[in-house]
Amino acid sequence: MQNLVDHTVEINKLLARYGVKFGIYKNQEFHEQLFPFDAIPRVITHEEYSELEKGLIQRVDALNAFLKDIYSEKKIVKDNVVPEDFIFASSGYLPQCEGIIPPKGIYSHISGIDLVQAKDKSWYILEDNLRIPSGASYPLIARELCRRAAPGTFKENNVVDNRNYHKLLKETMDYVNCGGISVIMTPGRYNAAYFEHSYLAERSGCVLAMYNDLFVEKNQLFYRDYKGENKKVGVIYRRISDEFLDPMSFNSESVIGVPNLMDVYRAGNVAIVNAPGNGIADDKGIYYFVPKMIKYYLNEEPILKNAPTYLPFYEEDRKYVLDNLEKLVIKDVAEAGGYGVVFGSDLSKEKLEDMKQLIINESRRFIAQEVIDFLDLDIMENGEPVPRKADLRAFVLSGKETKVWASGLTRFSRNPDSFVVNSSQGGGFKDTWVLSR
Amino acid sequence: MGIISIEKANNLYWLGRYTERVFTTLRKFYRIFDSMIDFDDAEMVYSEYCQRLSIPNIYTSGQQFVDCYIFDPKNPDSLYHNMERAYDNAIVLRDELSSNVVSYIQLALDAIASAKGTAAPLFQLQQVVDYLFAFWGCVDDYVENEECRNIMKTGKYAERIDLYIRLQYHTKDIEKEFTKFVNRMKKTNMHCNLDKLAELTEIINTKKEFNTEYQEALNCLQGIVEVV
Repeated sequence: MQNLVDHTVEINKLLARYGVKFGIYKNQEFHEQLFPFDAIPRVITHEEYSELEKGLIQRVDALNAFLKDIYSEKKIVKDNVVPEDFIFASSGYLPQCEGIIPPKGIYSHISGIDLVQAKDKSWYILEDNLRIPSGASYPLIARELCRRAAPGTFKENNVVDNRNYHKLLKETMDYVNCGGISVIMTPGRYNAAYFEHSYLAERSGCVLAMYNDLFVEKNQLFYRDYKGENKKVGVIYRRISDEFLDPMSFNSESVIGVPNLMDVYRAGNVAIVNAPGNGIADDKGIYYFVPKMIKYYLNEEPILKNAPTYLPFYEEDRKYVLDNLEKLVIKDVAEAGGYGVVFGSDLSKEKLEDMKQLIINESRRFIAQEVIDFLDLDIMENGEPVPRKADLRAFVLSGKETKVWASGLTRFSRNPDSFVVNSSQGGGFKDTWVLSR
Repeated sequence: MGIISIEKANNLYWLGRYTERVFTTLRKFYRIFDSMIDFDDAEMVYSEYCQRLSIPNIYTSGQQFVDCYIFDPKNPDSLYHNMERAYDNAIVLRDELSSNVVSYIQLALDAIASAKGTAAPLFQLQQVVDYLFAFWGCVDDYVENEECRNIMKTGKYAERIDLYIRLQYHTKDIEKEFTKFVNRMKKTNMHCNLDKLAELTEIINTKKEFNTEYQEALNCLQGIVEVV
């Protein structure tokens, strides 16, 4: 392992060479930033992974069942398991998707499930990302470089090879393909995750397309070839948000979408990965109900735990939240990327009172969670290992079967006093090793 | 992969042009830099160069010319700026070109940035030439789609002819590059203005003095290829 750590600088140089960056807007200007890599991996034992794998598959299967139900019969609402306020008031619920059954009935093809490990080694789900979770490309390319840097380290340790993500992705896309080429649609190079879009296209062999490369004709989606030989698209892995996807169905001011794409989708002529409307299932408010969904749809006990969560929407929970705000973390359900997260312990007396009032006035807008005492991971800083907060984004791919990618994106905070690990807020990343035995 | 959109064809063509612009002007710059050592009036050297390239002479001294023409990202004529434009076109072509190919553009861009302020920047800038050589070698080895390579090389040779004409290269050199340009262009599906091509062919075949006819030749060249 030391050999690998000793090559951290060289690995980071190679990551820079290959353009492993993310985009960020500061003062309304676009900047590309390197994503700092720490060579000490997160190691997940074989036994631990077996449990995680089962739990993740279970969770994503339940979430897919939930999405199918919500956009059709809504049994879970009728049976009073999830209150309708949490469905129809959510910005993630899209009435335009009502009644649409996507190809093969799969809604969330690529799910990014964020977890943390507590000091007692138990794992907690922090949030589900079922729209366009990003991050798989970083450990994918980092592993390649780590193996070059320290082959002995990988010979000595039984690390499952994670360099198959693009194959899993292609397999997943092929399974739902409605006949035609496979496309990864990007909003363009000024998107934060553009490196990932282009790298996954390169590795999977999919065509990387922008909105102006695609058009709809006779209820089919086509890719515009410069020779005039247009190609039918059978599956589109879109990396743009629902609201911008089709100006005829969603935000009419979107100039980065494909007009009438939803008509093609509704007719079953193209698969959209992930399905539009998935935002309802990864709403932070809905997160509270996922363990109940697992029991409801699968008739199983949840294998993985949610972080202890309170919904101020319920009177009993609201009372607890208001009484214990200073020791809880409050999340605005409409925010993402580490934004809208407030630790009660960081608030002044005055700010605490303001927050309490806000919770009373807009109880549906927030969730509150107990602060989990994360298991810190070591990172190297100035040649010394120092502990830092870290999470894990696991990737679950749903095609013919639901599979977990035996790796994941471990993000860490570089700030010793921060729990926020997002790259947009200065975090770095690690490789995630799953041991084969 | 293997299917080229109009947008990508445009990016491929301009990637070829910008990389060539950096490559040829940098090699020319070595000679300019050398001439400025012996000439007392450095301004005469670089002002003529600017005139030839039809770029504004905004420079105030030999040293300032070196700093600004090579390194200033805000100067639209600088080497760095042109390399950035090559990068802009390359970065959106990763799926066609591969990460290996694109990495040489990144390396060349970084090499210009790191040469800035060094004691002997021309030594450091040699790396840029090397990376661009490696880039084209890598294009031949890694870019599977022949059409892609042809579009890029059409751009490359179009730029080279343009610069050779402006910088008064020998007619034989221009002829050689023109043959390569036509060969590549014919293998693409880019729209070609046959009248302009015939006109430029005539200028080149009759070996007219580019010194006097160069604007005419450049006008023809500009109108030959139409990507979008």
